[in-house]
Amino acid sequence: MDSLIIPATLESLEIASAFITRATAQVGLDDHAAWQVQLAVDEAVTNIIQHSYTDATRGTIDLSWRMFDGQLEIRLRDHGQRFDPHSIPPPDITSPLEERQAGGLGLFLMNKLLDDMHFEHDPHNGNLLIMIKHIPHPIGSVPIFSLGGRLDAVTSQQALERPRAAITSGARRMLLDMAEVTFMSSSGLRALLLLRKELLAHGGELRLCRLRPHVQEVFALTGFTQVFAIHQTREDALAAFGQG
Amino acid sequence: MEISHKRYNRVDLLALTGRLDAASAPQFKQQIDGLFDQGRYRIVLDLAYLEYIASPGLRVLIEARKRARDLKLTDLEGGDVRIANLPPRIKEVFDLTGFTSLFEIFDDVTEAVGSF
Repeated sequence: MDSLIIPATLESLEIASAFITRATAQVGLDDHAAWQVQLAVDEAVTNIIQHSYTDATRGTIDLSWRMFDGQLEIRLRDHGQRFDPHSIPPPDITSPLEERQAGGLGLFLMNKLLDDMHFEHDPHNGNLLIMIKHIPHPIGSVPIFSLGGRLDAVTSQQALERPRAAITSGARRMLLDMAEVTFMSSSGLRALLLLRKELLAHGGELRLCRLRPHVQEVFALTGFTQVFAIHQTREDALAAFGQG
Repeated sequence: MEISHKRYNRVDLLALTGRLDAASAPQFKQQIDGLFDQGRYRIVLDLAYLEYIASPGLRVLIEARKRARDLKLTDLEGGDVRIANLPPRIKEVFDLTGFTSLFEIFDDVTEAVGSF
C-alpha cells in the first residue's frame, strides 16, 4: 500500500498516473487490467479537478491504494464541493451524433473499467471515492481463502463469495483455510460441495486445511472426508496440488 | 501530446501523438477550432500514434464532428471530421462509449483523405 497527496491541478494527472502504474505493477495486474485502472483513476482525478474544486477553492487530492480481500482498492479523497454521482445522467451511447451529449462519459467509463466503485461524502472529510479492481489469477497459482466463524445456511453464501469471485476471474486451484471455522452445518457442507463442483467443472482443484476437531468430525460423520482433500497444514495442501 | 498538421488541397490532416487527456484536450480543441476559423471543415485525424485517450479528448472529438457537419460548405457537401487508424486501446475506448458508430473510421490516411 502507498499514498500520495497531489494538488488538484491538471499537472497532477501525470503524477497520479505514475503512482497508479507503480501500484498496478506491485499487485501484478496484467497490462490490460492496469490500463483499465489507469484510465479510471485518470477520469476520477479529472472529475475532481474540473468539478469538485473551483479556482477559488483549489485544494488537494489524497490518493491511496491497498490490497484488500484479493482486490486492488484505490481511494481518492477531496475537500471540494459535494459530488453526487446520481446528479450526472448516464450518457445514451446509442444515440446518433446530432443528439449525442458530450458529458458524463468519464463516470460512465469508470463504471465500465472497474469491478466496483462507490462514493461517500461527509461534511468533515469531504468526498471519498473507493474504486475496486479484482486481481485476475494467473494459471497455476493457488489463492488461499481463510474462512471463519459459523458456516451455516445464513453465513456460507457470504463466506464463499470471494472464492466464487476468484473462480469467475479465472482461479482454478484454491485452498480454503478452515482454522477459524467454529461450526459447520449441513448447509455449510453443501455450499462447500457446490464450490468444489464448480471448480471441478473448470478442471480445477479444491483443497481444505486446518480443520478444527469438531468440524473434522462433521466431515467424518457425513462421509465427506472421502470427498474433500483435507490437509493438516497449508504447506501440505499446497504441495498436494497437481498430484491427483 | 504532439499534433502535426498537414494541409492538402481540400483536407487538413492532424496526426496525434501521445496522450489525449484533460491536460492536452484544450490544445487539441484549439487546433481544431483554428482550422474551423479559417473555413477549413474537412479534417482527418490520424490516431496511429495516439497512446491514450480519456473522456475530455472524446468530448473534443464529438463536438468537432458536430460542428463540422453543421457547417455546410455547399448545399451538397458538409464538413466532417473523419478518423484514420485506430490503435487497439483507443478502439476499446471507442467501443465502450459507442464512438465506433459515431465516426467514419478508415484503415489508413490515404483512404480517409480520399474519402472527401
